[in-house]
Amino acid sequence: MPAAASFANDMAPLPRNLDHTRVLDLTSEPGFFAGKLLGDLGADVVKIEPPGGDPARRRAPFWGGANDPERSILWLALNTSKRGLTLDLDRPRGRDLFLALAARADVVIESEPPGRMSARGIGYEELHARNPRLIHCAITPFGQAGPYAGWRGSDLTVAAMSGNLYATGDPDRAPVRCSLPVAYYHGGIEAAVGITFGLLAREQTGVGQHVDVALQQAMVMPNIGTAAMFKMTGNRGGRAGAFMRQERAVAREIWPCRDGFVSFALRGGPARIPGLVAMVSYMDEHGMAPAWLKTKDWKVHNLNILSQAEIDELSQPFADFFATKPMAELYAAACQRSLMLAPIYTAREITASEQLAAREFFVDLDDAGRGRLRYPGAFARSNKTAIGITRPAPRLGEHTAEVLGEIGVAGVEIARLRAEGVV
Amino acid sequence: MSELFAGTTVLEFGGGAAGPVATRYFADHGATVIRVESRQRPDFLRLLRLTPTSTGGLDGAHHFAVLNANKLSIALNLSRPEGVAVARRLALWADVVAENFAPGAMAKWGLDYASLVRERPDLLMISTCLNGQTGPERHYPGFGGQGSALAGFNHLTGWPDREPVGPFGTITDSLSPRFAALLLASAMLHRQRTGEGQHIDLAQVEGGIVCLTESIVSYTANRDILTRAGNRSRHAAPHGVFRCADRDGKERWVAIAIHDDDDWRRLVRALGEPAWANDPALATTAGRLAHADDVEHALEEWTRTRKADAVAAELQTAGVEAAPVEDFGDLHEDAQLAHRQHFREVEHAVLGRHPVESHAMRFSEMAPTMRLPAPRLGEHTEHVLTSLLGMDRAEYERLRDAGVFE
Repeated sequence: MPAAASFANDMAPLPRNLDHTRVLDLTSEPGFFAGKLLGDLGADVVKIEPPGGDPARRRAPFWGGANDPERSILWLALNTSKRGLTLDLDRPRGRDLFLALAARADVVIESEPPGRMSARGIGYEELHARNPRLIHCAITPFGQAGPYAGWRGSDLTVAAMSGNLYATGDPDRAPVRCSLPVAYYHGGIEAAVGITFGLLAREQTGVGQHVDVALQQAMVMPNIGTAAMFKMTGNRGGRAGAFMRQERAVAREIWPCRDGFVSFALRGGPARIPGLVAMVSYMDEHGMAPAWLKTKDWKVHNLNILSQAEIDELSQPFADFFATKPMAELYAAACQRSLMLAPIYTAREITASEQLAAREFFVDLDDAGRGRLRYPGAFARSNKTAIGITRPAPRLGEHTAEVLGEIGVAGVEIARLRAEGVV
Repeated sequence: MSELFAGTTVLEFGGGAAGPVATRYFADHGATVIRVESRQRPDFLRLLRLTPTSTGGLDGAHHFAVLNANKLSIALNLSRPEGVAVARRLALWADVVAENFAPGAMAKWGLDYASLVRERPDLLMISTCLNGQTGPERHYPGFGGQGSALAGFNHLTGWPDREPVGPFGTITDSLSPRFAALLLASAMLHRQRTGEGQHIDLAQVEGGIVCLTESIVSYTANRDILTRAGNRSRHAAPHGVFRCADRDGKERWVAIAIHDDDDWRRLVRALGEPAWANDPALATTAGRLAHADDVEHALEEWTRTRKADAVAAELQTAGVEAAPVEDFGDLHEDAQLAHRQHFREVEHAVLGRHPVESHAMRFSEMAPTMRLPAPRLGEHTEHVLTSLLGMDRAEYERLRDAGVFE
């Protein structure tokens, strides 16, 4: 098990790509990931919450089980690498403090319904007028303008309007989503890209700009081009469940094995043929490759020209073989023999992965108030800069005095703001 | 402003989606993105639906065309030393090198970071593959389908009583390009400020796991293993996808998400206060979660005879979150995507006019532009080598005649 030392690696004094970048993060759950990524890249991200705390803090489940706003799993998971401040933006004094912070910030990220920021007097126009270098990024379900801009949306409904939901699931049941909100992950990374593009543009022009990220649109790209292809193919998508559609039939991609499931495709092509050949010889070592399969010429194999009966016949020996083997054994063989087979991992197998341990992927964060907890670490590595978690998610108001101190608000005044409920 | 990446050159090795979609972000904002390809080993997207009768052969692949607009293609046979030498010159000349081969492939040609950086100290390069450039499983070969399974997405997608299915489109293939674009853009910023380049190692599985941090922390904190739950939420009900009236003989669906008790009361009003919905047992989230089967069944009886678009519009007007489930054809009629000009048309030599997608960001001071269709394999070899790289014509012709550009 990697020790807390791997966190120390992340804290080593390497530069980070977004050093010296100040970010104010006003987002709710759909936007959490964007600020976390900027923080992992070295930006100083300050999460601004209403005085009662972000609603995500009240979302079960909680670390240890007991309802505690410092221990919501959702909050802890997606707000690492951020400092925390509470501020009541609906009060004039809270608004003024926000404007003072924004005047020296590089980036503001928010996920309010279109128009809400302007209604509070802290919209793009106001912020840009005071700080022309500011990048203002808004993450919303459908974008700032357009016919559905006023619609409510969340992970399920933006996925519904992206084509991605329609194409996911079993053919005899409703379209189905991933049980964690992937639209927020896609949109969060997209927003971080847009913000960084805005920072690059500012290097050339000296001025910031508004970046309008739509989650619906961010969920179209996961169809990997098939939505655009409709105009050429007429393919509206369709659910094939554990199978994948070919030109004439469907071919299995998710196969039951002895203790779970594995992903494996019988598609051909130069990149896949060596794996198919190696799989058949692996099966043969266990006496489970029929003669006709051992002599099959994979160079002319093309699933697109096979009928359903032909695909089913080809699939049967593979199904029979997988049923005899557990996931771990099949994946070990896949790594050793370059088979394109993958186990359907749960969090249990992921946290036990030898590959991830060898790369010291997981980090144990120590937190004086909460204890030690293990997290996925860096989303990428660099040989010259540090990437990865810089600190655990902030406790409620943890950095209020520190952050306000940076804009010259002194201790006495902070005490008064606290008493008035502004912070 | 002029295009953000005007004058920036990105050299791209590899294929599929995870690498090439990333460089599109830069191409769509003015970068010159050059794909190094070969007829000896074409991008698998050029082969995906290829049959002996496919029009245009390797240049007629729809899938390649929709993902590679705005790029140039140069054909280089990397099994020839002269081909490798040209690739090396390009890599040392380009501003950014991106590759998504299996680990070790670039080193085999002497095109890896360690080899190149000796002659280009500020080299900026990204390598992306499933498991990363190091570790015992680094050579494990795979595409997005395997990445999605290893990162935990498949286990979380589908119905609890059935096999997992995985999100359509092998999700690591769409998360990874976004991570890669973020990493490259932030590294460009770092190089502009400090003069320092870097080599980035993006393991697509690790990026996916970072997205699913909630699942990992649920396990490390409480030993809870999150699993697929259909469309249900652990926090709210009803939260699902409901069958509507068929249209043109096809099934239609509407997604409805009720987040709290206020949402529920708005829904009940919109439904016309039916007796089943006014059951006090359903007034709270806990009550609705406990009776989720009954609530979903009753709600679907209401949606089943109605049109999906009308149900969504009616509920949204009532302040209830709802959306029609759109298929790939519907997206081209979607008024919001049209407003944002999501699809843009290009003219392709084999495929004719066809749409390509733009990214999901809209900037106040710049805009993505589609200048070029996806390239034919090797379409720009001469242009790139003689006009951009500055190779003299005699050398170009000698290499061409020697079969290096194949």
